Amino acid sequence: MTVVPLAPVRRWISRTQSSHRERGATLSSLYVAALTVAIIGGILHRQLAEVFWPPAPDSSGLAGASLVAVCFGVLYLALRRFGPLALSRPAASWLLPAPVSRRRLLLPSLRLAAIAAAVIGALAALAIVGHVVPRVLAGAETALLTTAGALLGLALLLIATAAQAGGRWGDVVDTLAGLFLAAGLAGLVASTTLDEPVGVRGWPPVGTLAPIVGGGAVVVVVVLALVVRGLAATPSDRILEASRTAGTLFDAAFGIEPSFLTDMIERRYWARRKLRSTGLPSRLPVLVTQDLLLTVRRRRRLLWLALGTTLPVLLGSAPGWLLGAAVLLGCLTAGMTATGNVRTDAGNPVLLRLLSLSSRQAVLQRLWVPGVLAGLWAAVALTALDLLGDLPSGPWWALGLTLGPVGAAAAVHRARAGFVRNELLPLDTPMGTLSTGPLVNAVMGPDLLLLGLPAWIAIGQGDDLSWTTVLLQGVIGVGGARVYLSGTTSDDRTELSH
Amino acid sequence: MVDHPAVEVDDLYVGYGSTPVLVGVSLTVAPGEGVCVTGENGIGKSTLLRCVSGLQQPDQGTIRVFGGDPGATPEFWRAVVTTVEPPTWYPGLTAREHAELVCRAHGQDPEEAGVDEALERFGLGGHTDAIPPSLSSGQKQRLVLALALLRPSALLILDEPEQRLDREGRADVASLLTDYVAGGGSLLMASHDDSFAAASGAAITTMESLSADLP
Repeated sequence: MTVVPLAPVRRWISRTQSSHRERGATLSSLYVAALTVAIIGGILHRQLAEVFWPPAPDSSGLAGASLVAVCFGVLYLALRRFGPLALSRPAASWLLPAPVSRRRLLLPSLRLAAIAAAVIGALAALAIVGHVVPRVLAGAETALLTTAGALLGLALLLIATAAQAGGRWGDVVDTLAGLFLAAGLAGLVASTTLDEPVGVRGWPPVGTLAPIVGGGAVVVVVVLALVVRGLAATPSDRILEASRTAGTLFDAAFGIEPSFLTDMIERRYWARRKLRSTGLPSRLPVLVTQDLLLTVRRRRRLLWLALGTTLPVLLGSAPGWLLGAAVLLGCLTAGMTATGNVRTDAGNPVLLRLLSLSSRQAVLQRLWVPGVLAGLWAAVALTALDLLGDLPSGPWWALGLTLGPVGAAAAVHRARAGFVRNELLPLDTPMGTLSTGPLVNAVMGPDLLLLGLPAWIAIGQGDDLSWTTVLLQGVIGVGGARVYLSGTTSDDRTELSH
Repeated sequence: MVDHPAVEVDDLYVGYGSTPVLVGVSLTVAPGEGVCVTGENGIGKSTLLRCVSGLQQPDQGTIRVFGGDPGATPEFWRAVVTTVEPPTWYPGLTAREHAELVCRAHGQDPEEAGVDEALERFGLGGHTDAIPPSLSSGQKQRLVLALALLRPSALLILDEPEQRLDREGRADVASLLTDYVAGGGSLLMASHDDSFAAASGAAITTMESLSADLP
């Protein structure tokens, strides 16, 4: 088969596309992008400096090692989720089936992913060095460590690329990366509770570091060459899947509609799972059993949720209001793990009509599982904070349980929010035009967390917790959830949307 | 319920923009009777079914379903099943579990209601553990019909139920619809396939015959 050279085709496409654009449109978008970066950098330069290079190292060696696991674990999982090799949707439709060199077709994507992975790896390494390594280190060592971060980012990209083309071992590596990330988070939590010395001592000198980083660089370059050689072997279906992800990501960003992306991830997850039908137990209300079944089928998500109960400990020394907000948001997240069905019903009421349940019956039944999850999550999280001495004495576990209805109402409200309403009037501010649709959509759900105000105040104030506060929170939580139910549903309609 | 016609449409007008789709449409479906509306694409069959299901408001005219307004109430949907709109399937629920969910929501025991037999009859016996989005379009259509016929109802409103079914599937569905009407149920459907409509025992009528003469 004759192979058509790709470069002239690409040149023709870009020439034709740019002829449809206004003159200077590309330049002006570049100008706007550079200006945006400059303005945001100008506003946030103090906070950025604090994140990447604080005045003095402020974290222990354990925290540093944990941050390595967290940053690079997240990088690997993100690379895997988005491809890492992807084409634009038009290229996937027209160029992938064309008789062009597959390697040349995929090279720009690999180049872009490599730059992104190296930059993110270098930035992560710089930040970790800034937080952990004593300032006596010379610039050469910092530069070497930052380079090592970039190389590690590249190495992860190469593994992810091989996994994209490879067989089932990719799933095993994903699981390992997940475990690595979990261990990192556990290490971070442990480092805040253990009284470890700040910074690390006895860092290897340049003489030792340079050969290690140099050797790593050689290995990465050799493997990169091998990956480029084998690029043509990447199966088309994997590239198509990644291209759809990239397209959906673009749609989600362009329409400020994150649900496009989450829905796609959800669909793919279930498409890969092999399920066995089980009988729904008849003792519980029918929709409660369905929510239970959905929750039990996502065991890994439950494990992450259980691990997440320790994350508020990271904010143990932060201001109380921030800790309180984190616990309430955790409640919302816990509740949202079981609201997939209510989201389906809110988006399309056809099945709810087939079930012939009123919106009140449906929402009441759908509140139970999120409520139990949110209550248990908050109880465990607050107990962990209590045991580690981040909270004054009191029945914090009971306060956590009373947050169940709050988390349930907020999670179900969030699931019923539906699409962003881009037809809402934009606000003119001195900083520019602000579209209200995404803002209104973003607060739907979190707004009901205000029902947890007594708990928020109790955590924020730092006084001993009394049973009166627990009772007050219980009454407000249950009462608020009831008012939400009666105010937004009805016995004589089936539709869930507001 | 028995005193009223299952469906009573009188002098219905619906237009999209300046294009009239339904002009003075009148139609009656008696209880225990099947009516099949035929006609070419774009003549307004689906619009008529959507209006009767209460999923679209007509510009003018009256629609009564069992003597009441078609609407969103749970009571209406306990009596009426429609396949005018495609469902969004629940995440992480297999085809059989969808069927079981529908039965349980109507207080039926899935075994007694014959979930497995229904899925088998619709050729889905080997796909009970599949999630519906992974089924082919024809299988999804069969699953929708299986769910619609499993649960108790008094009126079926079906939009081209023969669509995407193979020849055997059409014959099976037609005989099931005959049984449904023989059991006292009412049926209003739109179809392109006259022989399917005849096999399902429904009285065939054209959209033109239902409409008032255009001025």
